[in-house]
Amino acid sequence: MKKFAKFGAALVASTVAISLTVAAVPTATAATCAKKTTVTMLGTIKVEIQDQFLAAASAYNKSQNCYTLKSIPGDRNITFLQNVTPMYAAKNAPTIMYTLQEIPDMADKVMDWKGTKHVKLVSPGLLEAAKVGGKQVGVPSTAEAFGLLYNKKVIKAAGIDVTKIKTRGDLEAAFKTLQSKGKKPIHFSAIWWSLGAHFTNIFHTTAGKTHEARLAVLDGLADGKKNLSTDPAFKNWLATYDLLKKYNASPANLTDTEYDASIAALSSGDFGFLFQGNWTEPNLMTAAKGTDFGIMPLPTGTVATTYGNDSIPVGVPGYFMIDAKQSTKAERDGAIDFLTWLYTSPVGQRFVADPVTDGGMGFIPVYKGFKVAPATSMARDIAKYVEAGKTLEWINTYYPAGLQETVGKVSMQQYFTDKISSAELAKAIQDAWKGSVKTWRGATK
Amino acid sequence: MIFLKAKEDRVKSARAMKKFMKFAGIPLAIFSIVLVVPFVNGFYYTFTDWDGFETTKLVGFSNYTESFQDPTFWSTLRFTALFVFVSLILVNAVAFGLALIVTSNLRSKNFLRTFFFVPNLVGGVVLGVIWQFIFNSALVALANKYDWELFKQSWLQDTNKAFWALIIVTVWQSSGYMMIVYITGLVSIETDVLEASQIDGASALRTLFTIKIPLMAQAFTIALFLTLRGGFMAYDVNVALTGGGPFRTTELISLHIFQDAFANGNFGTGQSKAVVMFLIVALAALVQVTVSKRYEVQR
Repeated sequence: MKKFAKFGAALVASTVAISLTVAAVPTATAATCAKKTTVTMLGTIKVEIQDQFLAAASAYNKSQNCYTLKSIPGDRNITFLQNVTPMYAAKNAPTIMYTLQEIPDMADKVMDWKGTKHVKLVSPGLLEAAKVGGKQVGVPSTAEAFGLLYNKKVIKAAGIDVTKIKTRGDLEAAFKTLQSKGKKPIHFSAIWWSLGAHFTNIFHTTAGKTHEARLAVLDGLADGKKNLSTDPAFKNWLATYDLLKKYNASPANLTDTEYDASIAALSSGDFGFLFQGNWTEPNLMTAAKGTDFGIMPLPTGTVATTYGNDSIPVGVPGYFMIDAKQSTKAERDGAIDFLTWLYTSPVGQRFVADPVTDGGMGFIPVYKGFKVAPATSMARDIAKYVEAGKTLEWINTYYPAGLQETVGKVSMQQYFTDKISSAELAKAIQDAWKGSVKTWRGATK
Repeated sequence: MIFLKAKEDRVKSARAMKKFMKFAGIPLAIFSIVLVVPFVNGFYYTFTDWDGFETTKLVGFSNYTESFQDPTFWSTLRFTALFVFVSLILVNAVAFGLALIVTSNLRSKNFLRTFFFVPNLVGGVVLGVIWQFIFNSALVALANKYDWELFKQSWLQDTNKAFWALIIVTVWQSSGYMMIVYITGLVSIETDVLEASQIDGASALRTLFTIKIPLMAQAFTIALFLTLRGGFMAYDVNVALTGGGPFRTTELISLHIFQDAFANGNFGTGQSKAVVMFLIVALAALVQVTVSKRYEVQR
């Protein structure tokens, strides 16, 4: 989810979706079709695994003779909406679209997945974010997680056991240990989407213990009634923010070159930790061959029992949607067929879950009946958290459009560079939320 | 008799029209389709509840009132005005200086012409990325090595310095192009006038201000217009170099409109801000052209 809020995210996962139909579409392989239908998909999932996705698409095209999957390259410097609105206006909408933030915008234009065999195979809890007014607008691609990433070599050499880090105090002790061993404790990334979407989520996801309680916090913020500076979860979050700033061993870089800088830092072997997501794993592994990277929770509370201290935020980086307004039935069938092939056929599953170095996309399976196990270290870590139910919700999925830019590019970066006080940060976040349309309650503009 | 005359006129004008359409018909049609139609359409959208996909009702002037109540719109306008003003002066001063250098009797003038023009051939985004690296990494690394206080922190982290970074890159990019315009102006001055002034004993500076500049005022009109327009429309360098940062304080008007419409999903206000921007640019350009026309000499 890197560029995430944006189109990148959108592009990103696309591949994955549908194991759904496991057997639903009667094995189309045997069928011969009178006419080949071209099915278009906007983007190639995320840019990091573009080559692998295109290889999967070409393998699919060769595996049958009814459909040709064609990826339309979007402009990844602009958002999903910026890409898709002109295409709709030109009556040339892509059949398969992949996004997260813009799901509410697309809800009335795409197919309802409800009742399909696909949906029934989705792992529990991962459909919620793509439900709009009872309509199942999309199906998930993969699971992604963010939290504290660490360089296993460095952490091991420093004699740190990450499973013992259960509180904010434990984390500070680990930072100090790293310093004493001559290592840099953490590269704290100031890139706006990491601060605006993921780091703020650490507060939002621990602000309530149930889905409803967390949404109630958003309600309070939108109504202008929530006072953040008295909220215990916010105080913990702010103290964690200060802690990471204090031990951050890299200069603040507010521009987009920061993403590459953060990968270079963690893979260099000089740094112990990085607050980021598992989407960096392919890049990290390429940069430091033979080094494994892990992911662990970012504990905000001072006692181990604080909600969220033992869990990582796991979510779906994007959902596959199939256009219902401008596509033909053959195109929609082809779209389903491709996604089904990708998630249920042995060849497709390998493209989905194999590590990037072996030509796969390194995704974490989110559909039942998946035969290929995740092959990378971080993916296995995440699978463990998912299995144990130690996951936190991605409330950032519910942020109104533009909010993570406003918060991430302005107040969060200002606080990062000590331009504003913590009280001003709290107020800025409140102001950014005030008057937001409650899309998380199904409201529209 | 009168009727005949009128008929004759009609035939004449029909014939002229036919001739005109023969040559200009296709370009005119393309112009209308890609410019006039979208412009009118966009103008209409500002009075509706357009959400990027469809419109359901007319909303009067509410998009405009909402735009004017947005404090960031005003701060962006101020920032853009400052950017246009400074870049206009610097681009033209540098470009004119370069034009004087390469029209002098230097042996390397042909090489220099190419040399100064090359930055203009690099796309704005590529250029932004290159300079982002220079400001973020190259200069900072050098500053730490040689202890230059000025560059120790990346210029792109500070609003004022990021402004100058934008100006530097813009000047670097466009002065080569404007130089060509000025070269054209300089070489179009008849040599007999220059020789006459030489015989009269005019100094080089005197020749420049009383002969060259007045005789090439047309080049100034063109170059000033192009830089004015370029300043208001600047987008790619803005996106690629500062991305509007730090803290969204270096967003120029184009980027602001783009953000409003596409990142925040406010297509109505975004479009009405674009209309306001069009009016400002049109007005500024009109004033500038009228004023500079006055200084042009008819030969």
